[in-house]
Amino acid sequence: MSATSIEAGSNSVVRNSLVKLTKGAGLIVGIYLILYALYVYQQPRALSASAIAALINNTAPLALAAMGQTLVVVSRGFDLSVAGVISLCNVVLAVYPIGGPGGALVSMLICVAIGASVGAVNGWLVAVLRMQSIAATLATMIICQGIALVILKAPGGAVSNWIADELTDRLWKTIPVSGLVVAAVVGIWLLLRRTDFGLSLYAIGADEQAAKLSGVNTTRVRFTTFVLAGAVYGLAGLMLSAQTATGNPTSGTPLLLLSFAAVALGGTSLAGGGGGLFASVMGAATLMLLQKVLFSSGVSSFYTGMFQGMTLILAVVFSGLLTRLGERK
Amino acid sequence: MTGAVSGTAHAVYEQPSVALLARGLRKAYGATVALENADISLRSGVVHALLGENGAGKSTLVRILTGAVRSDSGTITLHGQPYAPATLIEARAQGVATAFQELSLVPNLTVAQNLLLPAMPRGPLGLVSSRRVIDAGAEILVRHGLERIDPSAQVGMLPLAERQRIEIVRAIENAGQMLILDEPTAALAETDWLFERIRLTTAKGVAVLYISHRLAEVREICTEATVLRNGRSIASVGLAQASDDDIFEMMVGRRVDQQARDRAAPTASADAARVSVSSLSGHGLNDISFDLRPGEILGLAALEGQGQRGLFRMLAGLEHPDKGQIAVDGTTAQLSSPRGALKAGSGIAYLPEERKTEGILAGLSAATNIILPVMPSASTAALISQQAEQSAARPAGQKVEMSPRYLGFAIGDLSGGNQQKALVARTLATGAKTLLLYDPTRGVDVGTKQSIYAAIRAFAAGGGSVLFYSSELPEVVQLADRCMVLYGGRLFRTFEGKAIAEQTLVAAMLGHGSNEGALDR
Repeated sequence: MSATSIEAGSNSVVRNSLVKLTKGAGLIVGIYLILYALYVYQQPRALSASAIAALINNTAPLALAAMGQTLVVVSRGFDLSVAGVISLCNVVLAVYPIGGPGGALVSMLICVAIGASVGAVNGWLVAVLRMQSIAATLATMIICQGIALVILKAPGGAVSNWIADELTDRLWKTIPVSGLVVAAVVGIWLLLRRTDFGLSLYAIGADEQAAKLSGVNTTRVRFTTFVLAGAVYGLAGLMLSAQTATGNPTSGTPLLLLSFAAVALGGTSLAGGGGGLFASVMGAATLMLLQKVLFSSGVSSFYTGMFQGMTLILAVVFSGLLTRLGERK
Repeated sequence: MTGAVSGTAHAVYEQPSVALLARGLRKAYGATVALENADISLRSGVVHALLGENGAGKSTLVRILTGAVRSDSGTITLHGQPYAPATLIEARAQGVATAFQELSLVPNLTVAQNLLLPAMPRGPLGLVSSRRVIDAGAEILVRHGLERIDPSAQVGMLPLAERQRIEIVRAIENAGQMLILDEPTAALAETDWLFERIRLTTAKGVAVLYISHRLAEVREICTEATVLRNGRSIASVGLAQASDDDIFEMMVGRRVDQQARDRAAPTASADAARVSVSSLSGHGLNDISFDLRPGEILGLAALEGQGQRGLFRMLAGLEHPDKGQIAVDGTTAQLSSPRGALKAGSGIAYLPEERKTEGILAGLSAATNIILPVMPSASTAALISQQAEQSAARPAGQKVEMSPRYLGFAIGDLSGGNQQKALVARTLATGAKTLLLYDPTRGVDVGTKQSIYAAIRAFAAGGGSVLFYSSELPEVVQLADRCMVLYGGRLFRTFEGKAIAEQTLVAAMLGHGSNEGALDR
């Protein structure tokens, strides 16, 4: 009798750790580390501070876009406006560059304001007018890209030197600034998660009706979610502009589907109510690292998309398997 | 008694004061008038029952009182102040809280978080402190005698009965003035805990509105009742003065004939078993064996959590048994899915427990919901028209006395009773010869119950076999030819014919009495 209960006990420990692994970012961090080891094996220089910084700089825009997307996905929605906001911020920074550190701060505020305003429109359409999120954000994405084209007809312009140089630089020759920006947003999220808003976000994602009947102000939570997501897309636009140093009215488009891929790769269910932002950052990092690994293996870049898609399927299937193992018995 | 004419002012002091007074409430959804003219008056510290058939307007009245919808006209006062909540949050702020029939708990949050929504206790930094949340949740649970529930458990993982208790506890915690309990015993097998909670709540002067289809329960806990019919309040009565028949008459508008059933001795016992279960174990069951014969209605009675859910889910192909065999029409069947169960031998169809999540497809029409399992036979060359759907669904709908005009409506817009009728019709439409009905009349009114009973009896009379579980003993007594009692995962006793009576069933469900009859197969 006691032997079976001990066995059951250790079983449940194993199960709990499995559940934790699948719920948190454990799986995607593991995948990333394996991929990174492969990368280092191919390119020993990959461990140098400059190589790491380059990788993080590459990752930052997608990581930020994926974080904003995760907020909306957790609340059970989709946000296509991410592409429009990033393009719009990019052309604004390229057409109206403001020099110096003060100018960079103003530029950042402008980007965040653009994102938050678009997010407010999304939030109004979805939370108040009860439009479906895909339809509402598809419309705002098209509008934003239209405005971006009006501001800048063809790729060109130049982002201010301070932004292009400093935001892609390393502090004390080690810590990449772009990594700090991402870390700051993750930090804010970790605080936000432990507020009533954070809890309500997961509640409305799982069952909006029940959350409403439990006294959650679902309209306000949904609205706030879109505004916050938009603000984070603004930062993504800033970091992308720092990266490319130039303007392109369609610069956000490639990030649209990749942001969903990063969210799914991080294990956040697209059905809402679960997952987290850090996992999506790691999902984004994995997608970008995969590009590097393929490049350094001499695989033509035409195949990158194929591999990214296959990784996504494998990761989601694998996490499903782990979950099922964890739920057994 | 208290001099109603001369001493009204005096009477107010003698009797509990009026807490909520609603006059002439009306609510229409488009052309449908859900509530035409409803009056109700609740007194502090008194449990008031709201009675009525499905579609009588009970849900609408509750929705108005909880702030989910606003009435088109009419007035409500709460302790003399105008009360017209625009949202549930406003209603709560005025001390009105509701335990909803369809439970309003968020599945991915913990018990403690659900109890405390929307505002969590904070730590020193102004952030939600998970330790304090759990402590506060545990304190609430202890206060209501539910220490056994882990406050950090995810609500979605808990059994339905525990979720219902949590829903009730949360409503009581938020009800400073008025508590609304909508079918609070739908998932509870015993009422002792609930009635104890209600008595403690009324002792604090809270007015309680109690909505239930179980008249015995209503009589036990309520002192007065308002009866709704067709959106109008027919009468407000003291329950001590009204007989059951009076109340049925007020609800239905005519006398209900309480058919005491004449129990013919089971005629089919000589036939070979249609479904034969031997030494089945797993999912809460322990070595269960029984036969289900053609033409037989086999009841299952048990307190909650005695393994009945596991039994049904294994027979329906949703779970795999750890041990034992299930034979259909004499051949051992591997039931790996509900579809497999439908195709095993003469077929097994399953009516699941949770109508909202396991049963209906809310966006589709009632007709589509009914013919879903038999779609291919209703279609011509893989295409199916709405007319074909409705005509295919009509015979099954008729068996449960479902009005054909409901077939075209989205099932989510129908009343609970009609949804349940449609689901029973669906199991009938499969053509399976064996039905597994899990609590087939959960939360439906008297009239719907009778229709469903009639459909079940007709099915059995036509040679079908029925295994049903019910949380309501009168239902088992009325319907079953034979009744098994599960206790602790084992088949405790089996009763036949006239031996099926409420008292003996209750004793067996509690594990009393000899279990010598356990093996009378």
